[in-house]
This record gives sequence, structure tokens and C-alpha cells, in this order.
Amino acid sequence: MKAGKSLAILTMAGALALGMAGCGTSSGDPTGAGSTAETTAAETTAAPTPVTLTMAGWSLDTTPEFKLLADGFHAANPQYTIDIKEYDPSKYGELMLADLSAGAAPDLVPIKEAKVIYQWSSALKDVSDVAAGLPKDVAGVDAYTVDGKVYASPYRMDSWILFYNTDLFAKAGIPVPDGKWTWEQYAATAKELTTKLAAEKSPDDQAIKGTYEHSWQSTLQGFANAQAGDIFSGDYSYMKPYYERVLDLQKAGAQETLATITTNKLTYQASFGKQHAAMMLMGSWYLATLTAQQASGDADTFAWGVAPAPQVDASTTSNPVTFGGPTGMAINSKISADKLEAAKAFLAYIASADAGKALAGIGNVPSSADPSVITTLFAQKGMPTDDLSKFALSTHIVKPENPVGENIAALQTILGEAHTAIMTEATALDAALADAGARAHSEGGVS
Amino acid sequence: MSTTVQPAPTRTIAKRKSALRRRNTLMGWTFILPNFVGFALLTLIPIAALIFISFTKWGALGDPVFVGLKNYRTMFTQGTYWTALWNTVYYTIIHMPLTLVISLALALLLNQKMRGVAFFRTAAFFPYITSIVAIAVVWNLLFSPEYGPIDQMLSWLGVSAENLPRWTTGASPITGAMPAVIIVATWREMGYYMLLFLAGLQTIPPELYEAARMDGANSWQRFWNVTWPGLRPTTFFVTVMLTIGSFKVFDLILVMTEGGPGQATLVLSQLIYRTAIGTSGAGGDFGFSSAVAVSLFLICLTITIIQFLVNRRAEK
Repeated sequence: MKAGKSLAILTMAGALALGMAGCGTSSGDPTGAGSTAETTAAETTAAPTPVTLTMAGWSLDTTPEFKLLADGFHAANPQYTIDIKEYDPSKYGELMLADLSAGAAPDLVPIKEAKVIYQWSSALKDVSDVAAGLPKDVAGVDAYTVDGKVYASPYRMDSWILFYNTDLFAKAGIPVPDGKWTWEQYAATAKELTTKLAAEKSPDDQAIKGTYEHSWQSTLQGFANAQAGDIFSGDYSYMKPYYERVLDLQKAGAQETLATITTNKLTYQASFGKQHAAMMLMGSWYLATLTAQQASGDADTFAWGVAPAPQVDASTTSNPVTFGGPTGMAINSKISADKLEAAKAFLAYIASADAGKALAGIGNVPSSADPSVITTLFAQKGMPTDDLSKFALSTHIVKPENPVGENIAALQTILGEAHTAIMTEATALDAALADAGARAHSEGGVS
Repeated sequence: MSTTVQPAPTRTIAKRKSALRRRNTLMGWTFILPNFVGFALLTLIPIAALIFISFTKWGALGDPVFVGLKNYRTMFTQGTYWTALWNTVYYTIIHMPLTLVISLALALLLNQKMRGVAFFRTAAFFPYITSIVAIAVVWNLLFSPEYGPIDQMLSWLGVSAENLPRWTTGASPITGAMPAVIIVATWREMGYYMLLFLAGLQTIPPELYEAARMDGANSWQRFWNVTWPGLRPTTFFVTVMLTIGSFKVFDLILVMTEGGPGQATLVLSQLIYRTAIGTSGAGGDFGFSSAVAVSLFLICLTITIIQFLVNRRAEK
């Protein structure tokens, strides 16, 4: 009985959701019919009727983008108001999936990780018409396209870049990245930095390592997938040189080991911000975090810059290949008909150059590639001002971190396990990659 | 007069008896009802739903699609399920007897009249009431390969660097992450089972020990012939609870190793969680997850039934 009870708790949420999903499906169709009726009604009446939309958001105190977009939209369209409902950022995907399933989700659903789009698309409105009307230079729409239909509008587009501590490079007497680095140069510099900074200590008395690579599998596999191979191929030998390089860096003490990062719960913000490492590969969202933490004193004050991610060889350094993903907004398919028009207007607004400039003003990298956006971004206090930093964010090919596909979550799980097994050296590299390939076929749906 | 009066009270008594029985039954049901409603709502219906979902393909959104035994076939042909099952069984085989022996030893030790016994009992129980997240963070630090005091102490004892156990970073079942998890789990749970054993020890009549002593039994003989048989109901309860608890181990694994490195500490409960909702809301496969949950349920049920049968035989 005891065993049954706990098992039941596991499924309880699912069972409740099951019942609710059943109730909800019947109301799906009239929504679409009602929307056209409402549009014609809105066209004939002169005064626009006020509409209040609900939108999900997370960590509203430290993530000002939601309020910024809501306020900006309200200013441009005074008849529309947006109320924000706060979610726990660490469990956002799970919570939103439960709310979507139970029919309790807000009208506007932010897509934090693009990989959910395949599964969530059945609970979201097809917004291909909004996407078709977006400026051509908006990045990230592909990540939201399932079977030719678009399910969300991207408002942020983060890509992975190399952060470096200019002061530590100067102390070591090594020239800062020139934007033409290959992975070999990156690894060699990390080792050289470690050796030359061996006598130095960070202000909080820690040894300084050449580089820091966070525990996420994407810090390595994201680059390998973007630059060297295809995650859906089921043959992961293309990751081998990437792993050989970091295993060597771990062994040489030029970067913290994965084992230490996970057992000691190290954060990437402290590792770079407190100068425990002279370089770090990270997503461009860290630009805003670092400037904010330097201003607040959570991070040390030092000069820094960003460079494009290292490349496989020199052939791609003029237009570097990296990976990244958008943050976007989708519309709940259960939205009431009279709100749909406002919701679509909001989706168009957030990908516009105006919204892009506003987002750049708080340090976010927007999906809009309007030239004014980069200027605004780098005009922020605390941001680097050199040309290479601007180049790193404006000139690149950004491959999706998680390509759209039914089995992407299963493949990510398999490769995530391979990542910890390899990085802790629990399993030999070749064996772990071969095993991941075999499991991609048996469990990951790769044929 | 007496003949006419005599039957009347019997009838009333009978009537009263049946009324009383009815009332008692009703009272009984009333007492059970809240619990039964809770049980039906929170356990029975979800279990039925779980079994149903295990025969479907369902991703939390939309309607489940009936797929027959497909989830079970996938489960039995997939390496991951067997790895998780083996890890769970391994965890149980080591963790269950280890905790049983240590908690019994603690109980025997702390059942003696000595100074500060209340303090030591509290100290042994303390891990059980401490937040599991805090426990995981602290133990992870203790196990840390670079700064961990455990490895430092081992190297003072002369263990060379390459022979140090790879606590949270190894896949070996002898010197890897699994033993680390088992150590922490045992340390955490021993206090609770010690308390159960202490309660059991209190129920053994002191006269038995006195008689055994009179017969010249030494302490080992007293343990085998008085304590151990006297504790049997407690031992049975502890064994059942420990076995089920071991098979369902989840929270500690999730906060300590997340099943890693690789699949070294992946257990069934975590596989259930991970396939359904543990992937940030992407790619949930509730059908497969439910199939694994049903298998875990059946395993726990079978083992409990076996334990009951063994106990009944021992009682005779």
C-alpha cells in the first residue's frame, strides 16, 4: 500500500491533467471561429475596446524584460494591457507544461528553451501569419517552426561567445583574442594563461585558471553540433576532438574539472566575475549579468571583452559559426477569441526594431538585427567598446542549440549522460561516444 | 408473571445489541471514511489512471493514444531500463542490510543505561530530520575530489592518489558514485530505524534477560536467544519499510548525482521522473514513464508479499 501511495502521487498530477485535457479539447474549435467575428466587430467600431492579456514571466525582480515589453506594448497600443504572472525560473518548463495541460496557462506563453516547441505546439496557436509579417532580419523563427507552421515569435536571440578578462591577459603578457582563433589556439592560450598566472591569486584568494567551462553539456556539444556534425546522425565521433581538448585542459589544470564544478556547486558567474578564470565560453545573456554584477559589486571590477567562439579552422573566422537560441513568445491555444488579435499584435511588437532597441537598452541581445540595436547594446554602461566585441555579436552564423525534432529531448538526455561520463573520466571517450550512438538508435529514435 | 416478563428483556437486549452493532458499524465507517476518500482520490484512482496511461502514448498535451503493450516492449528491450533496474537492485542489496545492521547496533548501544544517552540518540536521529538538499550539498563537498576532507583523510592513511575512490565521479559500483550515495543514505536513515528498534527493545520483558542470566547465558547468547526473537516484529517491519524505501530511492539521487556520472546512479524512480517531466517540459513520454512506474510497483508488491510469507512461516 505504501509503495502504491507514492507511485500514485507521481501520477496524481498526470491523472488530474488528463481529465482536464479531455474537458478542454472541445472548446478548441469555436475559438478560431469567434476570432474572425471579433476582428470584424473591431473594424466597424471606432473606439478600440480595452483588452487585458495575461503573460507568464520568471524572476521578475532580476528579469526586467517582461515588464519592459508589456509596458512598451501598452504605450504603443493604450487599449491593450498585459498582466504578468510569475513562474519559478528553474522549473519553468515543467510548470508551464502542467499549466498548458490543465488549461490553466496564461494567454501569452514565453518559450524559455526552444526545444519544448515540438511538444508544446499542440497547445499553442499557429502564428505563421505573424511570423510572415516580421522584418526579414529577425533571427530565430526557424527554432519555432514545426512542420512548416510557426508557433512563437522570437524577441531575444542569444548566441555563444568567448568572454575574456583583459586585465588578466595583460598580467600574463598574452595578447587578447584577435577574433581569428581556432580551438587549438584557444586551448594553447588557456594553458599558457594558467602557467603564467600560476603565481597570481584572484582578489578572493583563489588560484587563477586559464579558462572556465560550465557543467552544461551545451558548453561543448553545442559547439560540436554547430561546427562539426549532426545531432540526428547517431554517430557522435565528431565530438571526439572537442572532448580530447577539454580532457587535456582539465588534466593540465587549465580549466576546473566537471567533477569539482558539480560537487562544489560552482557558478559560472562567480568563476568569471570573481576572476577565477581568464576566459569563459558563455551565452550572450551573460553580458547583461556581468555589467549588472560589476555595477552592484557582486563581480570584481576589471576590463573585459568578448570575441567570437573559436572555430574548427581558419576558413570560418570571417563569419564565425556558433550556436544559440531564441527566447520567444507563444499564444495559448485556449485564449479567448476576443483577445487573439491583441496577442498577435504583441507577438509582432516584441520582434520589432523598437522592442529590440528597448531590450538592448537593458543589456539583452534582441532577435531584431537592426543596426541600431547593436549600437544601443554597446552604449550601455559597463559594456566593452572595442570593435571585436561588436563584431562578435553582429557577424556570425548562429546554429540552433536544439534543432526541432520529435526526439531531441531523448537525444539530449543520452548525450547529457555521455557528457558527465566522459568529463569525469568515468567512461573512456571512445566507448562513451559509441555507446551514445548506439543508444541514439535504440532509444533516441535515430534510424 | 415471570414467564410473561422473561422474553421481553431478551428481545430488547437483542434489539439493543443489533442497534449497537449498527451504530458501531456506522461509527467505524465514519472513522474510516475520510481516510478512504483520501485513499481513493489520491491513490486508487491515480493508480488506475497510471495503469491506463502505461498502455498509451501521451505527452501531457492532447489525448492519450492507445498503443497496447508497446511501452512495455520498449522498456524490456531498452538498455536504460535494465541499467536503472540493476542500479536500483544493487542499491537495495547493499543499502538495506547495511542500514538494518547499523541501526540495530546503534539501538543496542543506545539502549544501555549510560550518561548522555539522550544526546547520542538525538545526534543519531538528527540526519533524518535535516533537509535532504543541505545534506547533499555538504556530502558532495566532503566527497569533492580536489578539496574534500574524506579524500584528504584517506591519503593521510596512505591511500595513493590513483587508488582513492572516485566518490562522485566514478562509475564503478565498488569505488564510484553509487557507494557514495549508499553511504549518505545509510547515514541519513539509520537514526530513524534506530528509533524503531529502540521502541522494539523496550517491549522485551526484562525478566527474560534475568532468566537467561540465571541460566548462565553470555551476552552473545542473550542477544541470539532473547533480543533477536523478541525484536522479530520490529525487524520485519523495518525490513519491509527499508526494502520498499530502497527500491523507491529518488530524492537523494536527484540532489546528489542526478543519476550521473553517465548512468552510474540512475535508478527507476529517477527514470520515471526524467522520462515524464524532468526534461524542462520537453519530450515528456508519460506512457513509457507510467510503464516503468507499473514495473516498480509490481516489484515492490512482489517483494513485500514474499517478505510477508517468510515472516508468517517464521512465526509458526
